[in-house]
Amino acid sequence: MKFQKTVLDNGLTIIGEQKPSALSMAGGYFVRTGARDETAEVSGVSHFLEHMLFKGTERRSADDVNREFDEMGADYNAFTGEEYTVYYGAVLPEHQAGLLDLLTDMMHPSLRNDDFDMEKNVILEEIAMYKDRPQFTVIDEARSIYYKNHPLGQSVLGTSESITALQRDQMCAYWERRYAPNNLLLALTGNFDWDQAVHRVSAATKNWRPADSPRETPPFEPRSGVHTIVKEQIHREHVAFVSPGVPAQSDQRYLADIVAHVIGGGEGSRLYWELVDPGLADSVRLGHDEEDGSGTFFGYASCDPENTQTVVDRIRGVYAKVLDEGLTADELERAKRKIASALVLHDETPRGRLFHVGFDWQYRQTHAPLDEVIDRYLGVTLADIGAFLDRRPFDTLTIVALGPLQSLS
Amino acid sequence: MQGTHYTLQLPNGLTVVAEHQPEVRSAAFHFLIPAGAVTDPDGLEGSATVLEGLCYRGAGSRDSRQLSDALDALGIQRGGGAELEYATFGGAMLADDLHRALEIYADILRRPHLPADQFPAEQALALQKLERLEDSPADKLFVNLRRAYYTNNYGRTPLGNEAGLQALTPESVAQDHTRRYRPGGAILAIAGRFTWSELSDTIHRTLGDWEGTAPEQPVPDIAGRTKYRHIPQDTNQEQIGAVYPSVPLGHPDYYNMRMAIEVLSGGMAARLFTEVREKRGLCYTVRAMPQTLKGMGSIIAYASTTPERCQDTLDVLLAELVRLGEGVTDEELARARTGVLSSLVMQSETSRARAGAIARDQYLIDRIRTMDEIRSGVEKVTPESIREYLQRHPARDFTIMTLGPQQLEVAE
Repeated sequence: MKFQKTVLDNGLTIIGEQKPSALSMAGGYFVRTGARDETAEVSGVSHFLEHMLFKGTERRSADDVNREFDEMGADYNAFTGEEYTVYYGAVLPEHQAGLLDLLTDMMHPSLRNDDFDMEKNVILEEIAMYKDRPQFTVIDEARSIYYKNHPLGQSVLGTSESITALQRDQMCAYWERRYAPNNLLLALTGNFDWDQAVHRVSAATKNWRPADSPRETPPFEPRSGVHTIVKEQIHREHVAFVSPGVPAQSDQRYLADIVAHVIGGGEGSRLYWELVDPGLADSVRLGHDEEDGSGTFFGYASCDPENTQTVVDRIRGVYAKVLDEGLTADELERAKRKIASALVLHDETPRGRLFHVGFDWQYRQTHAPLDEVIDRYLGVTLADIGAFLDRRPFDTLTIVALGPLQSLS
Repeated sequence: MQGTHYTLQLPNGLTVVAEHQPEVRSAAFHFLIPAGAVTDPDGLEGSATVLEGLCYRGAGSRDSRQLSDALDALGIQRGGGAELEYATFGGAMLADDLHRALEIYADILRRPHLPADQFPAEQALALQKLERLEDSPADKLFVNLRRAYYTNNYGRTPLGNEAGLQALTPESVAQDHTRRYRPGGAILAIAGRFTWSELSDTIHRTLGDWEGTAPEQPVPDIAGRTKYRHIPQDTNQEQIGAVYPSVPLGHPDYYNMRMAIEVLSGGMAARLFTEVREKRGLCYTVRAMPQTLKGMGSIIAYASTTPERCQDTLDVLLAELVRLGEGVTDEELARARTGVLSSLVMQSETSRARAGAIARDQYLIDRIRTMDEIRSGVEKVTPESIREYLQRHPARDFTIMTLGPQQLEVAE
């Protein structure tokens, strides 16, 4: 396993982690832009733009883009979040040049008017689809409440109104600021040819020009408390619960992951025994989301509306007990073991590995080999966890309940 | 690159299939237990789900919590659940822990406590999962589409129904375990890094003296199926589903069907995505996929869209299914072939995907296909062979289901 890195004259960073025994290679552009980088009048533009990158360039029509991916037999897609927009593909090694040429060209889209108008319908349909899924809606609502006016509370999809009002010129201006080469990372994993990749991408991007792509990271005070959003037509109560975590740049993220895992990492977690085992909630989970300069413990449960108060009280009880008594030695060991096996399984394919390598660089400008990451988790002690919990992360708690329930305390 | 395959037929009826993948650090296993919704006792629909859940509430020498802790201590990523034709018990982990994992799963399958005092909680969970369908329009559509299409037990959902779940008792579930959790008809699939001789020893030791045979499964039946049904619901989008008969894995036309569906819905350049979403902007989600059950194959197509676009979406969707019968081009087929073969290679890089795939093969056609066999099957398909297949099995006799604010026009 070999790691390489270069920065082109135009500011584009290319990194690669080679695994010569792999049967495939994966490549992806990680663009440091997302909902948090939008102003209110262009809410949803990052995600809409992600769709538009599949609509063609000077050299390619929309049909060409899709057809070329399919001709290579690529496993490909893109996604947009609060902080990043990622375009990726995994192919057999012989298609490396084709994949990188296509992905690189896509970063400079034509943004044609007709395509813009047509794709607007697709985005509006996507917004309508999520509106019918309260398990997703409650997460968006909780982010917005927890972050108040902070950019991290902004919606990735935007609203029907913001998307309908969005103009092509606004998208072009956003693209110029955010898709400059210095704001992009190209990451490669698996069985690829590094020299060929750097040579070709350098040639293809020689006319790209850097630009100022600032990101605001204002401080914020989370809004805590209990919030109910009453929707009579929903059958279950969908509950999100949020507490402050640690930033992606913090070494404490390993501790936060372990704590989240013990509390709500699925079957066998404390919340599982408190809520699912007795049949009070049909599902519950807690994870730690690391972000640029921030982080959250984000939880979700669904239950019969009449059980919501009990569910919420029990979540509070689990948090209080963890803060007061810490974790047990057995819990810590089990969590480490499960996190390690999950990492190995996730990173087994170049496509899976790509996201860890890419985000590691984007958030921390480091490359951590998988074994090193696993060792960091395995090295965590009860004393480390104790010191982490002494900061009492769960004393701040935002609870958002979406469903037929009228009130909650 | 091809993993070595192993097959072991135990005298008690359990079939074991395995694929050795020397490059991975993990191992994955996948039990198919012949206890799915289709063999739920009449009047006790949902028994498969409650039974599967109860199996984890203590087994062998361990109570519920000890069992869960033992699985977690091995770092097992758990998977599975009751499905239509069987219940699955699966796990993936670092390869070294595979043997200890199989020992624990032998307890879960053969010696579950099925504690009566925890039965009400498991029953409550099953009722909640059923209720959850009301907040998941797409899932609710598929459950009802299947009910309208299959006219026997294949129209059931593993979630059961309210009356069936309410009628369950701790005793009925225990009896059901005795009846259906049997090695005769069960499959164990393993993929990843292992030494076969050692693995074979562990399997003999932990599962060799298991006894009995599960009841026969019914055959899917669609005679007298519904043509169109609409379920009114106050949602933003209309859910649209269509299903029609095709061929299953093992049928001489299987690879023709597989490639035809790839042309229709394989990638973003495939026909449905291009015609319904890219050219017309009618929806965000549209796709078609083959559904293979034991002895019968069907094609299911799905889209969701807002009411003002839903009639157009249904019309274009059905027209594309029918237009496939006019044939596919060389270019379309070449793309489809590359897509299928490429994903096959990439799938072989992960143990979890392979364990699931060889388990399905064994269940559906009583053997596992080598990569060479699949490659050869795919490469034999030509535009002409697809056209002939579609003459024999045209897209027609749809069962259509919509769910949402608007009832649609369905042509005769």
